[in-house]
Amino acid sequence: MTTQTHGPHPSLDDPSISVEDVVRESIVDAVPVARTEREAEFYTLRDGELLLNMGPQHPSTHGVLRIVLKLDGERVVDIDPVLGYLHRGVEKLCENADWHQAICYTDPLEYVASLFCEWAPVVAFEKLADVTVPRRAEYIRVLTGELNRISSHALYMGWFALDLGGLTPILWSFIERDEIVEMLAAITGQKLLFNYFRIGGVNGDISHEFMSRLGDWMSRAGAQIEANQGLLNENEILVRRARGMGVLDRETALRMAVTGPNIRASGVPFDIRRAHPYSVYPELEFDVPTRQEGDSLARYLLRGDEIKQSLRIIDQVLHEMPDGPVMATLPRLIRPRPGRAWAAVEGPRGMYGTYAISDGTDQPFRMRIHDPSFVHLQLVSLLTPGNLIADTMAIMASLDPVMGGVDK
Amino acid sequence: MSIAVVTWQRLNLLGRILAIVVPILLALGLVTIGVAYVAGPYAVGFLADNVPLLRFVAAIGAVLLLTIPTAFIVIYLELKVIARMNLRVGPDRVGPFGTAMSVVHGLKFLSKEDFAPTGVDLRVFTLAPVVVFGGSVMTFLVIPFAPGLFGLDMNVGMLYLFAMSGLTVVGLLMAGWSSFNKYSLLGGLRSAAQMVSYEIPLTLALVGVVLLAGTMSLNQLVLAQSGSIADWYVWRQPLALIIFVIAGIAEANRSPFDLTEADQEIVAGFATEYSGMRFGFFFFAEYVNVFVVSALIVTFFFGGWTAPFDWPFPVVISGIDPLAWGVGSLIALLLVPVVGTLVLAAPFWLSSRISTLQALVIGFILFNVVAVGLLLGWAFVSLDWVTGLFWFFAKSYVFVFFFVWLRGTLPRVRIDQLMGFAWKWLLPAALVNIFVTAAVIVIVNS
Amino acid sequence: MDRALRSRLERRFGERLLSPVVQRHDETEIRVAAADVVDTVRALHDEPDLHFILLADLAGVDTGTHMQVVYHLWSERTADWLRVVADGLDREAPRCPSVTFLWKGAEWMEREAYDMFGIVFEGNRDVRRIYLPAAYTSFPLRKDFHLADDASRSPGMGVRPMEETLPPRDATPATNIRRAQAG
Repeated sequence: MTTQTHGPHPSLDDPSISVEDVVRESIVDAVPVARTEREAEFYTLRDGELLLNMGPQHPSTHGVLRIVLKLDGERVVDIDPVLGYLHRGVEKLCENADWHQAICYTDPLEYVASLFCEWAPVVAFEKLADVTVPRRAEYIRVLTGELNRISSHALYMGWFALDLGGLTPILWSFIERDEIVEMLAAITGQKLLFNYFRIGGVNGDISHEFMSRLGDWMSRAGAQIEANQGLLNENEILVRRARGMGVLDRETALRMAVTGPNIRASGVPFDIRRAHPYSVYPELEFDVPTRQEGDSLARYLLRGDEIKQSLRIIDQVLHEMPDGPVMATLPRLIRPRPGRAWAAVEGPRGMYGTYAISDGTDQPFRMRIHDPSFVHLQLVSLLTPGNLIADTMAIMASLDPVMGGVDK
Repeated sequence: MSIAVVTWQRLNLLGRILAIVVPILLALGLVTIGVAYVAGPYAVGFLADNVPLLRFVAAIGAVLLLTIPTAFIVIYLELKVIARMNLRVGPDRVGPFGTAMSVVHGLKFLSKEDFAPTGVDLRVFTLAPVVVFGGSVMTFLVIPFAPGLFGLDMNVGMLYLFAMSGLTVVGLLMAGWSSFNKYSLLGGLRSAAQMVSYEIPLTLALVGVVLLAGTMSLNQLVLAQSGSIADWYVWRQPLALIIFVIAGIAEANRSPFDLTEADQEIVAGFATEYSGMRFGFFFFAEYVNVFVVSALIVTFFFGGWTAPFDWPFPVVISGIDPLAWGVGSLIALLLVPVVGTLVLAAPFWLSSRISTLQALVIGFILFNVVAVGLLLGWAFVSLDWVTGLFWFFAKSYVFVFFFVWLRGTLPRVRIDQLMGFAWKWLLPAALVNIFVTAAVIVIVNS
Repeated sequence: MDRALRSRLERRFGERLLSPVVQRHDETEIRVAAADVVDTVRALHDEPDLHFILLADLAGVDTGTHMQVVYHLWSERTADWLRVVADGLDREAPRCPSVTFLWKGAEWMEREAYDMFGIVFEGNRDVRRIYLPAAYTSFPLRKDFHLADDASRSPGMGVRPMEETLPPRDATPATNIRRAQAG
């Protein structure tokens, strides 16, 4: 953590200093040189406080997040997330790929619901290249997207319980995820990073296998999800640990640029599907569920409500899907005319956005990827101080960050 | 080249090993016989003078041995039952239905490197698992498994129990403090806070039982509950049972009170820096504790080894007393295996095309199964301690299953909720229970 | 395209806009100088007929000649995304006022822009690297930062694709900075 990163510790040459002393010193005094006001404030310890380094290899940090906790006993005084352990420089990579290839780079950002990080760049590129997407393709995008949303929310609900110490719900929640993933694999060929959306449509029409699996699943999905949630929603321990925990009020949520279920749990009905419609969402009927409490429990329960709405959307899409092509006619190498485009879609975690600049060549000049997990992880340092270590995990889990998106 | 060298060179490996081991064994045997001849009378005299000491040593040995299969069974149950609850298959590779999985776990721990990280207080670090394991094993000593089958019958058995479970706290605190790791420290301190808090309702819950039975000896407690299901203390002390179960889970550091090793929060708590057999001791101690708490619940509230209803066993079956047959029993011992093997092998030999040898092997295995079954059946029918063991273990494992079930179902509570629950709810409830019990006893007696 | 928004913006920020309001698809774009960012976003956020309460995104851009900071805002008063471009930041020492006084959530996005472009946000109390190690010295998303492996560049750039072993005749030297024709 010190800025000195190269070469052995200077005192290792000194025979009068033992290895144990060096290790002890480096562990105990591993406080970085403060570079900013905030850092200076965080790394100044008052009497009785200790720093606890959590991660990047920790059972509950959702990947490779590292957080430094400033503790007073069990109570968290302050918290400093340290990112970058999964940083791959996707934005730079996209600038060195052509427009089609760039979509593949965005795919692994959100490995839990990867269709949504394809969706945003695809829409942005279509705006740049003035491509009209066939209606059937739009319906397929909505259909697969909502399925992916359900699978993501289902997994989230199990994950939340896991971070509260419940072992079973996570595996139960994989029932839904597994079925949906199998379904999507039938048309996309992959189970995790679907890479299905293309500029101008989708890669291939939905197959018979997909439809039969979907029909089979739809007939029992409602009851099945209800049953899985019944395992948890009224569990006294879960409710007591989540209610009133990490309360995010309406104004703070807006100030923190929160989107998605997290802001809707704070009472702001901001859903890009309604607030700034894209695709065929204006033609579909669904509600935007909100909750007023803004605590962990509200964020958790809201996901359950959203699953129901997604099922509703899927039902309508299946009834209204038109026939036709699923892909606009486009050259292999597109060169959009110079310009800028921003597109945002509503993912299971919030707003996925892409800001793309074209300079008339076959590669993006600049591609900015906005990921909701990144914004939401900031909330951890806002919501957890004053609570216990255990609540840190509960609050972080309720915000549902995915580290692939946070670190880009 | 002497004949000895030539012979030695012509032997294969097994032969060489035997050629070395057999003379040594012979020599040792002779020495043993000699020592026994010379010192035997004195030793027997000494032992005869110190039967309690002998009994104590034997009991300790038996208890130490008993913990191993107990832990293995509980670990296997936990793996398998939780797997089933999680819609998984669980262990199914090692042994039939994966039953040898926990044995393999144990071997794995044994074969790992005995590692201590830099900066630990090595003496305390090494001693901590021993203290924890010792604490949980020693509690076995006073548990009455069956009539006449117990380590020690102390008249202060209950106090001894709490003293021993208090020892566990010391061990966990030692582990947390010596590990030179903040997670361990937090885990150790959590365990100290938790166990000290829950010790109080745990102890107070049993005061009602003690008032009823008028004794602190666990044997006397069980005898006081003997009779039928109506005599169990669970009916007279339901509140105490609830308090005891909750506090017992917390004492055993089990989910939902497993805060000391909450992996989502503090990695593995006090055990973070431990590996190999040092960790194995903690691991074993945890599962032995699960069994101990179950056994205590059974002993205090569910009649221990007594049968739940008017059980006809043990009965003495006249005429099957082998000792009365004299030489006949010897002949039977020689003849019955042979005849039994042949009789059981005959159908296989006649009905299918397998060879005679295979048929005999099958017959021999079948005979063993039948013989062991008959022997166990006879023991169950005519020995009261076997019957007692049966009931004791049957009841105990019901509660072991209950603990595993809880672990598969519930999320973890928070430390402040845990402490608040102990002091604000369990402690007053236990006090109320004591007053009500005492009042009722006074009223009934007067 | 929201024509009303355009006229509203022109009326309100007329003299401050560096270039005419651009509208395309569902986006409206205004350009202001970095010094005007604070007043502009405060007006956009506070004034009831604008009411852009949600900061959708904050991005740094290196055009090759200068730096930009791009804000995307959302308001329920209009159907368009509003893009505010803080234009003309010096490439050598880019500085821009922070919007954390309005949207505290911009803190990390500004940290990211600092990490990738070296844009220093005045008023953000935590401008330090967010992804890259503290000892790292360059800013990877700047246009003069080239990937070590030029095989990753496409034929369109005139640089060899990965399969070819020989350099193409018309390969551009890797030191050239790609400049935005988009501006």
